[in-house]
Amino acid sequence: MQIKNSAVSMIIDAQDQKELEEIKLQFLGKSGKLTLTLKDIVKIPSEKRAIVGQLANEVKRIVEETLETKISEFKNQVSDHKKQNIDTSNPGTPPDIGHLHPMTQVLYEVVDVFKSIGFQAADGPEIESDHYNFEVLNIPKDHPSRDTQQTLYLDTRNSKINPGEIILRTQTSAMQGRIMEKIKPPVRVIVPGKNFRYEQVDASHGFEFWQVEGFMVDTNVKLTDLFGTIEYVLRKLMGDKIKLKFATTNFPFVEPGVDTYIECTVCKGKGCSFCKYSGWSEIMPAGMIHPNVLKAVGYDSQKVSGFAFAIGLSRLVTLRYQMDDLRLLTNPDMRILEQF
Amino acid sequence: MLAPLSWLKEYVDITLTPKELGEKLTEVGLGCEKLIKTKDDTIFELEITPNRPDCLSIIGVAREIAAIENKKIKFPKLGNLIKPKKTLPLTIKTDSKINPRFTGIILTNIKVGESPKWLKDRLGKVNQRSINNIVDITNYVMLELGNPMHAFDYDKISGNIMTVSQAKGGEKFESVDAITYKLPKDAVIISDKEKVIDLCGIKGGKNSGTYEDTNTIFIRVPVEVPNLVRRASQTLSLRSDASSIFERGVNTDGTIDALKRIVGLIVELAGGEIASEIYDIREQNFKPWKLTLRKDRLNKILGIDLPIKKVVDILETLNLLPVLTKDIIQVTVPTYRNDLKIEEDLIEEVARIYGYNNFPKTMPEGIIPTAQIPYFKDYRLDEKVKNILKASGFSEAYTYALIGEKDMPEDLNSQNLLRIDNPVSRDFEYLRPTLRINLLKALTENKSNFKKINLFELGKVYLGKNLDEAREEYCLSGISNSKSFFEIKGLLEKIFEDLGITEDPTKYIEIINEGTFFELNFSELLKKINNNKVFKPLPKYPPIVEDLSIIADDVKTSDLIDEIKNQSPIVSDVSLLDRFKNSRTFHIVYQNKNRNLTTNEVKIIREKILKKISEKFNAKLKE
Repeated sequence: MQIKNSAVSMIIDAQDQKELEEIKLQFLGKSGKLTLTLKDIVKIPSEKRAIVGQLANEVKRIVEETLETKISEFKNQVSDHKKQNIDTSNPGTPPDIGHLHPMTQVLYEVVDVFKSIGFQAADGPEIESDHYNFEVLNIPKDHPSRDTQQTLYLDTRNSKINPGEIILRTQTSAMQGRIMEKIKPPVRVIVPGKNFRYEQVDASHGFEFWQVEGFMVDTNVKLTDLFGTIEYVLRKLMGDKIKLKFATTNFPFVEPGVDTYIECTVCKGKGCSFCKYSGWSEIMPAGMIHPNVLKAVGYDSQKVSGFAFAIGLSRLVTLRYQMDDLRLLTNPDMRILEQF
Repeated sequence: MLAPLSWLKEYVDITLTPKELGEKLTEVGLGCEKLIKTKDDTIFELEITPNRPDCLSIIGVAREIAAIENKKIKFPKLGNLIKPKKTLPLTIKTDSKINPRFTGIILTNIKVGESPKWLKDRLGKVNQRSINNIVDITNYVMLELGNPMHAFDYDKISGNIMTVSQAKGGEKFESVDAITYKLPKDAVIISDKEKVIDLCGIKGGKNSGTYEDTNTIFIRVPVEVPNLVRRASQTLSLRSDASSIFERGVNTDGTIDALKRIVGLIVELAGGEIASEIYDIREQNFKPWKLTLRKDRLNKILGIDLPIKKVVDILETLNLLPVLTKDIIQVTVPTYRNDLKIEEDLIEEVARIYGYNNFPKTMPEGIIPTAQIPYFKDYRLDEKVKNILKASGFSEAYTYALIGEKDMPEDLNSQNLLRIDNPVSRDFEYLRPTLRINLLKALTENKSNFKKINLFELGKVYLGKNLDEAREEYCLSGISNSKSFFEIKGLLEKIFEDLGITEDPTKYIEIINEGTFFELNFSELLKKINNNKVFKPLPKYPPIVEDLSIIADDVKTSDLIDEIKNQSPIVSDVSLLDRFKNSRTFHIVYQNKNRNLTTNEVKIIREKILKKISEKFNAKLKE
């Protein structure tokens, strides 16, 4: 105890770093007072040894702590003096921090934007049945629109499943049936996820790509709501300055069918290989849910209506960062990843 | 679909500039992907959706333009089907189930030769090669009106008989372009007395085509069954302009007009005369159908209040013959618009011609559903974990879910993986059962540019030896060439702690040649999450803290810590401070929530600890 008190008071009174070093040696050095005391513990009868030991340890800790505090005090004073001589324009020392993938960053924004208008996110299987991927969506077996979604079929050998029944989903719309058949309107859902198609890879196509499906059903959902929602979401994600246009299109599971184009951000509408020299990029096919789909999930199309859309997430990400090739998104080259 | 402006102008007056027209065509649903300027023309490259076979013809596109421009269409001049002076014999046996309509006529004394320049030019503009005047005219009329047709050399139809039937499968058939096919079962074909002469709706036969020496032809303008054409064409990987139209549904009531048109053109350009009555074999009466559109339904779905007059006008320009009674409009749908089947289809017609870009925009009304949906995914949890990894120096990668056999390590047998029947290439044939393969590859590929590589991926893996057992699970995996086993372990411990999971992550970490790898089943992990964090009041009484150095061999630190903790609830925390050879220093915190501890109490517990670990692990206090 005595050692502690004298050490602490000396430390506090010390005038400079040199004096501190001396104090440190005096108590904690090889033949310092405290060190010697600790060595003497062996001489104490064993039943008391533990208590004394603990006490000595604690004293040692306190002395060390006080010393540290005082040293850093001096150091700070020193650095104040030196500050004028430091070249503060030297680069900072970066912490060891990694990077989230651009797809993740945009996806979280998408999820947030939709959350703000009451849409919950769902996640579903990529190994999907023909039933949910096509049949429920008003696309029977021999429908020509299947040509636009060339399908990857899973090998059914050694299983009870018939060939052609199980596929890799070609669209996140497959989740419309799975979710709506389980709940009643009002429904507001988004489904981000990966899709697969038999497609040759180029700058704007891939056999794996991401979409964010969304659908809403309620007693009074209108085409103008769809237009408004698309505009709201895309402006939130891509900024107020973007240019949008809508066009008629056909998907068997919507009627009327809508396609959304955004002015190409890579070429600013002038035309480039990414937008096939049209100046516009197709970003969000959509439409009012077809009565046959509503019927298939057990809804009455005369009482409720709804809209559905699919954001081409992969494409949105590339447009957002002016990346001219979709393949950059699946390339784990850190020279790409570290830019985001 | 290619549509030259000059050709379109024959049927409709166009006031818009080509650029404006292109944009307008896109808006109404005929995606104009490109305008091709030639020296004397503009050609529209249109993407026609599968529901609009009528727009695979120039007249169909012209009809759309007429609706856009609010003009009337000028239908091309049709030939007269005059009574034949003499008739040539021909027996036709068909079945309306496989060939719903068979329209045709015989022309004789025609002169096969080169097509006139205007015809060649027109076909050239839509990338059609000129063959001879007869073949060119059949192609021309198909492109113009959208009803495919075929000209047979009458003299090559053996026995003057044509029988429509379905292939048994395996029959050989040589098409007009001299390619031999093995016919798939159920493909619809026409045979004469001896041979197959036509693959219906897809391609004509070489053995009965029209050549220089042809004098008499039979022209067939059919209606085919979409599914049958589609299946045969898919099986053979053989598509033609005709099959594209038939599989989407041809204009069922257009065969007679198309026949009149072609007879007129042939007589004009190749001479000849009619040598038979018109054949028109069918069971169904292909007539327009009625649909009704309610004004209130229209406004409810569209969200705007269009004046009824405007709605009627739009339906009028689409040739839908609207009749208004009170607030209900009845329309008559022409047979070329087989996409119009229900009220919603008419609603789209009104909306697209009114112009999607003229609509106001609103936000949805109604209450926001709060009950958790099925398949709900909490993206905040993903985000939380990814942020910890990011803060620890890891960058995130997204890699393909499909892998190839050549990338598989020796311990992975492709026989046990889920497989794609029709992969885009051998490199993407199997569904990955682990993220390890792609991350290892990523590490290797980054080596040339980076010293320190820390990568992670949160993605799906696909498990099960066959489809019956197929399962998808999210995996969280990472690879590092610069972080130690214990750094990775500490990182995973932090993630677990953040998610409220009490589990030792050691089993998920592996030391590999390149560094350290971890992989854990994230779907399983999420099931163990405990988010119920409850605040523990700060202790009112000070703890007593001591460091004990223990000497022990062959004991796991975790076992020692567990044993020390087990000796008393007063031991509130034990951690490893230091380790040197067989000595380990533990930092022990003794704490009683309800009162001050005495040194004597601590002493008793300490002795208990020392006794226990001595008995159990032969461990003792360092002297």
